[in-house]
Amino acid sequence: MLDAFIQGLFVVLQWQTFLVMLLGIFLGFWVGLLPGLGGATTLALMLPFIYKMTPVEAFAFLLGMHAVVATTGDITSVLFGVPGEGTTAATILDGHAMAKKGEAGRALGAALMSSLVGALIGAFALALSIPIVRPLVLTFGAPELFMLAVVGIAFISSLSGQGGRALVRGILAGLLGLLFAMVGEDPQGGVQRFTFGQLYLWGGLDLVPVLVGLFAIPEIVDLAVRGTAIAGELPQEKLGRGVWEGVKDTFRHFWLTVRCSLIGTFIGIMPGLGGGVAQWISYGHAVQSARDQEERRGFGKGDVRGVLGPGAANNSKEGGALIPTIAFGVPGSSAMAILLGAFFLQGIMPGPDMLDKYLVLTFSMVWTLVVANIITVAASLFFLNQLAKLTLVRGSILIPLILLLAFIGSYTSNNHLGDLVVFLFFGFTGYLMIRCGWPRAPLVLGFVLGKIAENNFYISTIRYGPSWLMRPVVLVLILATVIVMIYPFIQLPRRRAPAEAATG
Amino acid sequence: MVLMQALFFFLVLLWSPIVTYGASYYEGKTVTVVVGYKPGGGYDRYARLLARYLPKYIPGNPTVVIQNMPGANSIISANHLYSVAKPDGLTVGTFNNGLVIAQLTKVEGVRYDLTKFAWIGSVASDAAVLTVRTDLPYKSVEDLRKAKEPIIIGATGPGSSTYDFPTLLKEFAGLNFKLVPGYSSSSDIMLAVERKEVDGRGGSYASILPFIDRRLVQPLIRTRVQFPEIEKLPVDEDLATSAKGRAIMAVRSTPESIYRPYAAPPGTPDDRMKILRDAFARVTKDKELLAEAKKTKLPIDYVAAEEALKVLQEVLNQPQEMAQEITKYIKFGD
Repeated sequence: MLDAFIQGLFVVLQWQTFLVMLLGIFLGFWVGLLPGLGGATTLALMLPFIYKMTPVEAFAFLLGMHAVVATTGDITSVLFGVPGEGTTAATILDGHAMAKKGEAGRALGAALMSSLVGALIGAFALALSIPIVRPLVLTFGAPELFMLAVVGIAFISSLSGQGGRALVRGILAGLLGLLFAMVGEDPQGGVQRFTFGQLYLWGGLDLVPVLVGLFAIPEIVDLAVRGTAIAGELPQEKLGRGVWEGVKDTFRHFWLTVRCSLIGTFIGIMPGLGGGVAQWISYGHAVQSARDQEERRGFGKGDVRGVLGPGAANNSKEGGALIPTIAFGVPGSSAMAILLGAFFLQGIMPGPDMLDKYLVLTFSMVWTLVVANIITVAASLFFLNQLAKLTLVRGSILIPLILLLAFIGSYTSNNHLGDLVVFLFFGFTGYLMIRCGWPRAPLVLGFVLGKIAENNFYISTIRYGPSWLMRPVVLVLILATVIVMIYPFIQLPRRRAPAEAATG
Repeated sequence: MVLMQALFFFLVLLWSPIVTYGASYYEGKTVTVVVGYKPGGGYDRYARLLARYLPKYIPGNPTVVIQNMPGANSIISANHLYSVAKPDGLTVGTFNNGLVIAQLTKVEGVRYDLTKFAWIGSVASDAAVLTVRTDLPYKSVEDLRKAKEPIIIGATGPGSSTYDFPTLLKEFAGLNFKLVPGYSSSSDIMLAVERKEVDGRGGSYASILPFIDRRLVQPLIRTRVQFPEIEKLPVDEDLATSAKGRAIMAVRSTPESIYRPYAAPPGTPDDRMKILRDAFARVTKDKELLAEAKKTKLPIDYVAAEEALKVLQEVLNQPQEMAQEITKYIKFGD
């Protein structure tokens, strides 16, 4: 075990392997920065280049690229409020708010450092859990996956802000998200729901145009209305020192980073939960770490913990996401499906063998994720301060660029005009929500978890009848749901009674 | 001798414009393959494989690129190919083989007529198989029939072979199946098989094959397209207890013989179609391509244009009442 773990590292560090990995990192860096140009598409494009490579080189190249995408996607999210990837949207809430306060450097430092810590912890957690990972995945059937989705949805109570009115708004936004998740053909009866006769809507709404619209458009409008740079007219010296401050923040809130990393790894291992989920649950968890009402109100307005949580989960989930693909031969995402093709190409049959006969290869993949992140973060630290200065560029110059990126990013998800309609629709929705003081995070949470919850609920009921409710893991998760739901209400008053009455 | 020379010269004269026309036409141009799905799926992987070898076989060696146009189980891409794409020989498309059933049952949104496309053919065929876990006592159709408990079959949803194929077996072959749809992909069902949440699954033979090889599941029933390893299995149509059932099963499984269809927009000029058809016929015999296809588990089995059309006609030549009957059991969806 330990042998294979160390051997895996040395395999990655051989110079040929290392070189192709650097190439992959370089490509992934740009793919991550540009919104919409997704990791999966790029993997598919790069597949032909691995024919002449050894398995270790091939996976170092592909995974090196894949690992970096989530890391650099955070940079776009923080700087412009446009999600660089569908999986880096949660960083916007506090990361971009920090950028607007003139703390872009600090937010970037925190995002990257937490990514690195997340990748490291994810890798080690994975290495430790390899002996139990098959039974662990097999324990989570449809009933357990349904309950996991419910636990996730319960985080709405933390993401809603204080007061009865805010909570009602949060719940309504969450329900709206669930409703949007229902668009498309339902798999049980084959009925078209909310498709309005549009072929485009058959497959449901895509994550990328929804998120880009929901977050980018309100920011663009805001920037246009203010007529200044993203960071307003703040004194410049604050920007320059920021990055190091952000790195330190990661260690100031080290346990939060660790917990969010573990959440990410766990969600990554669960097949079918998908990359969009980990960041939002971690964000919810980060909000829970607020010690009092005052702190909690700071979330969404630029609390660094709101950057650390999703940043860590984003990268730690990548290691976990490898598990269903390598241990069972069933890919958990489209990126992993393409990776499965790479396995076949290399003459390797993913399955139980990967945790035994090919253990060194498996660990070399885990190490690739770690090393790629170390390199990216180290390289980025050199010019993050320069990047942060982008927030001082006049809005009138930035707006056309951001708008262009947002449009292209949305359009690439289906290459269909409908993508742009969805983008604008959710842009408008997002703008209205902000104007009226409604939280967007619950909507996204409902949206990313809706389909998972619905399908697994249906499967559980038709397969097991009501008896699935009595499965032990389900009972534990029901308890977890209750705790997550009432946590904000018991925790805050006890720690420090707020002086003022909570208002919406 | 002089006569021979004259004849030769005449022949050269006769053929050269066509040949040079072909070469110069594709030279420096780009052929776009419109794929009705996102990158990474089966249709996309086939197209990307072909795209790398096709230029060699088209005079003038054009660049071949992939354009993914996902949506509505590839109806969007078929509509595009039918009425938007230019019929200039520079666009070809690949879409779901079941689109013919969507046309037969008049699914809303279908604006194409498959028989009017300029067909290239199909690069692979497939069979559907019904598989059950090897640790269960069911080793034959007889065992399935004798099952006291319902056999739980995982599925994605209506319109996919994971759903329609077992549904017809349940309905018309009297097998005691309980269908559990809702899995997000066929690989998701495999995981449910692995954790014993479901007893088995139906669907594409090619995609289940790795799990049959791993002895996780074994095939018990197949559809009409023949493959050596499963030749001896009973065919679904023979298990049907009524003529109607047999006919509906046949309609469902007939398109599987053109599993990865390729066509160009209606009205593409014949000379360019000839070039494209030749290119596909030859590229699917390319040794390097075949070796790669074998490695990546993309079986190649070329079916020519005329035969593909025959298959389509066989499906479409149903009496009206039959088409309506089919709608009750098969829904074409996403």
